Amino acid sequence: MFRFLHSSDLHLGKRFGNFSGDLPSRLREARHGVIARLAQHAREQGAATILLAGDTFDTETPAPDVRRQALAEMRHHAPLRWVLLPGNHDSLQATQLWATLTAEAPDNVILATQARPLDLAPGVVLLPAPCTTRRPGRDLTEWMDAQPTPEGTLRLGLAHGAIRSFSEDAVAGDVIAPDRARRAGLAYLALGDWHGAVEIDPRTRYSGTPEPDRFKHEAPGTALLVSLAGASALPEVTALPTASFAWRDLDLHLLEGDDPLLALAAVLPEARARRQTLARLIATGRTRLAGQAALAGAVAEAAPDFAFLELVEAGLVTACEADDLDLIDRGGALREAANALLAEAGDASRSAAEREVARAALARLYSYAQGAAP
Amino acid sequence: MKISALRLFNVKRFAQRGVAIEGIGNGVNVLCAVNEFGKSTSFEALHALFFQPHSGTPGDVQRLRPYSGGSPLVEADIATEEGRYRLTKQYYGGRFARVTDLATGRLVAQADEAEAFIAGLIRGGTAGPAGLLWVRQGLTGIEKRSKSEEDSEKQVRASLLESVQGEVEAVTGGRRMAEIMAAAQEALAELVTPSGKPKANGRYAAAIDARDRLTAQEQRLAEDVRVLREALDRRAVAVKRLAELDDAGERQARRKAVETAQASFDAAKAQGEALRTAEAEWKLARERRTAAERELTAFRTVLATSDAHWAALQGAEQRRDEAVARRHAASAGVEQAHAEVAAAEAAEQEARQRLARVEAALKARETLARHAALSERLAGAEAARQALEGAQARLAVETLPAGAVEELQALEIDIAKLRAVEEAARPSVAIAYQPGAASPVLMDATPLREGEERGYEGQAQLVIPGLGTLTLRSNRPPQDNSRLEKALARHRALLAAMGVATLAAARARQIRAQQIESEARELQGRLALLAPEGLARLREAAAMPGAVEAEAPGPDEDPAPLRASLAATEARRTLARQALRAAEPLRARADEAFVEAETALAALRAERTQIEAILGPAEARGARLQELSERFAERDRHSAAAEAQLQRLRATVIDLESAEAALRRSRSVEDAADKEAATLREAIAGLNAQIGTRSDEAVEEMWGEAKEALAAASARVEGFAAEIRVLQRLASALEAARAQARDLYLKPVMAELTPLLGLLFDDAAITFDDKTLLPQTLRRNGHEEDVERLSGGMREQLSVLTRLAFARLLARDGRPAPVILDDALVYSDDDRIERMFDALHRQSRDQQIIVFSCRQRAFQKLGGNVLTMTDWQP
Repeated sequence: MFRFLHSSDLHLGKRFGNFSGDLPSRLREARHGVIARLAQHAREQGAATILLAGDTFDTETPAPDVRRQALAEMRHHAPLRWVLLPGNHDSLQATQLWATLTAEAPDNVILATQARPLDLAPGVVLLPAPCTTRRPGRDLTEWMDAQPTPEGTLRLGLAHGAIRSFSEDAVAGDVIAPDRARRAGLAYLALGDWHGAVEIDPRTRYSGTPEPDRFKHEAPGTALLVSLAGASALPEVTALPTASFAWRDLDLHLLEGDDPLLALAAVLPEARARRQTLARLIATGRTRLAGQAALAGAVAEAAPDFAFLELVEAGLVTACEADDLDLIDRGGALREAANALLAEAGDASRSAAEREVARAALARLYSYAQGAAP
Repeated sequence: MKISALRLFNVKRFAQRGVAIEGIGNGVNVLCAVNEFGKSTSFEALHALFFQPHSGTPGDVQRLRPYSGGSPLVEADIATEEGRYRLTKQYYGGRFARVTDLATGRLVAQADEAEAFIAGLIRGGTAGPAGLLWVRQGLTGIEKRSKSEEDSEKQVRASLLESVQGEVEAVTGGRRMAEIMAAAQEALAELVTPSGKPKANGRYAAAIDARDRLTAQEQRLAEDVRVLREALDRRAVAVKRLAELDDAGERQARRKAVETAQASFDAAKAQGEALRTAEAEWKLARERRTAAERELTAFRTVLATSDAHWAALQGAEQRRDEAVARRHAASAGVEQAHAEVAAAEAAEQEARQRLARVEAALKARETLARHAALSERLAGAEAARQALEGAQARLAVETLPAGAVEELQALEIDIAKLRAVEEAARPSVAIAYQPGAASPVLMDATPLREGEERGYEGQAQLVIPGLGTLTLRSNRPPQDNSRLEKALARHRALLAAMGVATLAAARARQIRAQQIESEARELQGRLALLAPEGLARLREAAAMPGAVEAEAPGPDEDPAPLRASLAATEARRTLARQALRAAEPLRARADEAFVEAETALAALRAERTQIEAILGPAEARGARLQELSERFAERDRHSAAAEAQLQRLRATVIDLESAEAALRRSRSVEDAADKEAATLREAIAGLNAQIGTRSDEAVEEMWGEAKEALAAASARVEGFAAEIRVLQRLASALEAARAQARDLYLKPVMAELTPLLGLLFDDAAITFDDKTLLPQTLRRNGHEEDVERLSGGMREQLSVLTRLAFARLLARDGRPAPVILDDALVYSDDDRIERMFDALHRQSRDQQIIVFSCRQRAFQKLGGNVLTMTDWQP
């Protein structure tokens, strides 16, 4: 029985400039913290080796503190072994990075910078496919097919890149053969690049990033504990939670009669979890002018609970009835203005942008009218 | 729309009972009753019927309910262009609303449909003022106002200003519109300036600044990253290339290429030298062949011309001999002529002496006679002497030094001879070999043939096989031409001294001198004849007549024969001299011919000597020709062989230039590789430093951060832009609605209002602000007053007139609406009230006006249709 931890895409040093305040620092620190959490899982699960399938660093030239602190943390967890594979973000083209890492890496950090077999344990061989450049444009795992190993050896593959459309860069296209594990006789092929955990086949998996960094993937960050009883036995894979931040798209679908505030309360996570949550509230469906105003107010009210909370109401249609307009005015110029905006919002001959502006202007008129003296 | 009846039940003070006001007609209708009679209740009920939905219970509806509770019911009959209807509403319990057609009793609409029907009646479109125009005591509209507001004096004044503004607000949105617009403008002003530019220090401007700053930062970092990546790529390429260059196999291959090229180049150089030697040999052989050919050709040519030359030489000798003979003959002729002259002269002399003697005797005899003739003689003598002197003068010019011509002639011959001798005077050598002589003697490396006479200049060396080398020296001063030159110099000097160009010219002059000389001699003789004792004696004799002593008489002989004899001798002498004169040129010509022949002969002889030298002895000539031919043939072969050898070498030679180029190329490849490796090492060192610095700065992380921050900032800017668009759209929609309302209603209303004002205030005029369309100033008695200072009555009147103006406008638009006044003229004095009544009546021709008033007395003067309230039970 051979056990190891499969993870990838740590993206150490990522800065999150799209957020403000101290959130970028917290997110960045959380990425560093993943190292310790992976080590703890490995110790608890009795795995001696942690395979990192590429993109350990976010850039080809991480800041020295990022690099050194990561290596120091890994050294701290000796005798656990860390195997670092160059990915597309930290490819071998970053000669400076890998030369420095080679010079600084402690004994328990193995740099899989060459496509040649690495002995992990007696009878266990790792076949790594390091990314030579940012976009190699070819299947770097092909050599594994022809690489001989002694009879009965447990062959493990380690690679970084896209199979089908799983690339994070969306330009690489179809690169790694989906059936590489079968062709190369691999007991397990550990893949990186896709930030969500995906099972390609029983022997081929993307571990996903242990600490999510975007809203794209719904699943929480995990690492995979892989147990192999033998070369022919199917791997036994367990996902272990590793993330400290949750990135969530909250779906808020409203029917016209629904109370937006009740619906909102139902989808928001419990209060204590909000500090570690980045959430986008995706509002869809229909609501009245009053409901929309109430929803926007409620979201603004709840935002301080969260690491990040944003209301996306592009998909929300604001219904407007005559009595909504009566609440603005029953007659006169105000009502005329409201009528004109409502007509413009529903005028199919106008561009969507113009209609949206008219709709928003009507909503604003509504809220001003409620605030103004009757 | 017109109202024909109003009924209400269980409304306010009419708890559980009802009243009806029926028979409301066109024009002015007046319900005049004391307070608390129910006028205001009716007014409010009517208002509720038209403006309060039956389903709601807002404050206005609550106020309709009696203290005892119950469900208020309000009903009105109306007439429109479409027909007559009855509108009924009940609030609270059993609430309903319905519309029935009075003509047919049919239910037209109920509940919400009925509300919609009523709304259509009063609104006729939301833009216009209410279809019912209401004026209450002190109030200008139906808007809610606080009690205190209504009561305050200030508000009274303000509301009076709004006596017109009330209706204005009804269509322009009023204060709410103003508030909303102010709110929208304020929100907008926080972001942008009135001209639409981002407001300085505003949030929008800050967001734009942040975005622009981030854009610049992102670009700078992107450039840094690009530079870094480029450096990384370049270093990777350089390292790879260096590895290739440093590869031992490659290095070895380059070295080997150089060595191979060097060997090839050396071989080519050696071959080149051999080729040059062969070329030199070939050139030598060719030259030798050419020399032999030339010699052979020369020999053949000379041989061919030898016989002709010989014949010419013979001819020249013969001509010389002939010339000599002719000269001898000519000389003999001259000698003979001289002898003849001498003989003739001697004979003449003798004849003359004999004659003289005879004549002397004769003279003596004829002394006297002669005496006479003396003078004649003297004259003749003088003439002769004169002629003589002339001849002597000419002679002095023409005479040549004695022997000079002969010397010249001798010199010319001598020169010819010297020249001939010169030619033939070179020393020469010849050998006769003993029979069996082993090999020929070599003279100046050329074999000396048997009998061959070979000349030389200065010295010559004879190599005699078996003996040694024999040196011949002529020891002659080289080119000893002194004699010839001396002769030539003398020749030239002679010619110059004589003043002639040639010997012939000298000869001609000599002959001329001789002629003059003989002429002179003749004249001398004649002078001597005429004055034998000299001229002086003759002159004396001639001068002294008779002084002559007669001498002894001489032989008496007839002088005539003597004279004949003398004449004959003289003729003979003349002939002789002529013959001499003819003979002398002949001899000169013979001399010339001789010189000419001699000269030609000398030249031919010299040539002959040369020919002989070339050809050698006649008997050896055949062998010589043979030898020359063979030598030429042999050298020709040799030359051909050398050329063939040369061609062979040329054909097999390696191109030296190619070999050198190949060597240069292979060397340059090696040098370039070394140089490139050095350059690469330098470049890598430079890139290392650059990359090290950049990597430590973590530019890529910063770039990623900047990109994300830029996206966020751009979204924020776009959010602001969208907000601005929304606010601008809202502001423009509000502005447009207000402007439209003004244009559609207020301007026409003002147009309607102006004549009404004139009706009421004949002594005053009100001006309106163009923009706000509100009363601005009142002009009365030539004084302008602020409109706020108008009295309460006047404002009240203005308010009523404004409604009337609106009503007129609506009626003109085909939407007539009743004007309802509830105690509307409380402040007006009697005079004004009457005027107002006039105005109302004037309006009422096509307008329904319903007036509720408690001022029974005052309103009696109004006239019109008097309404009464009756009990009514639904």
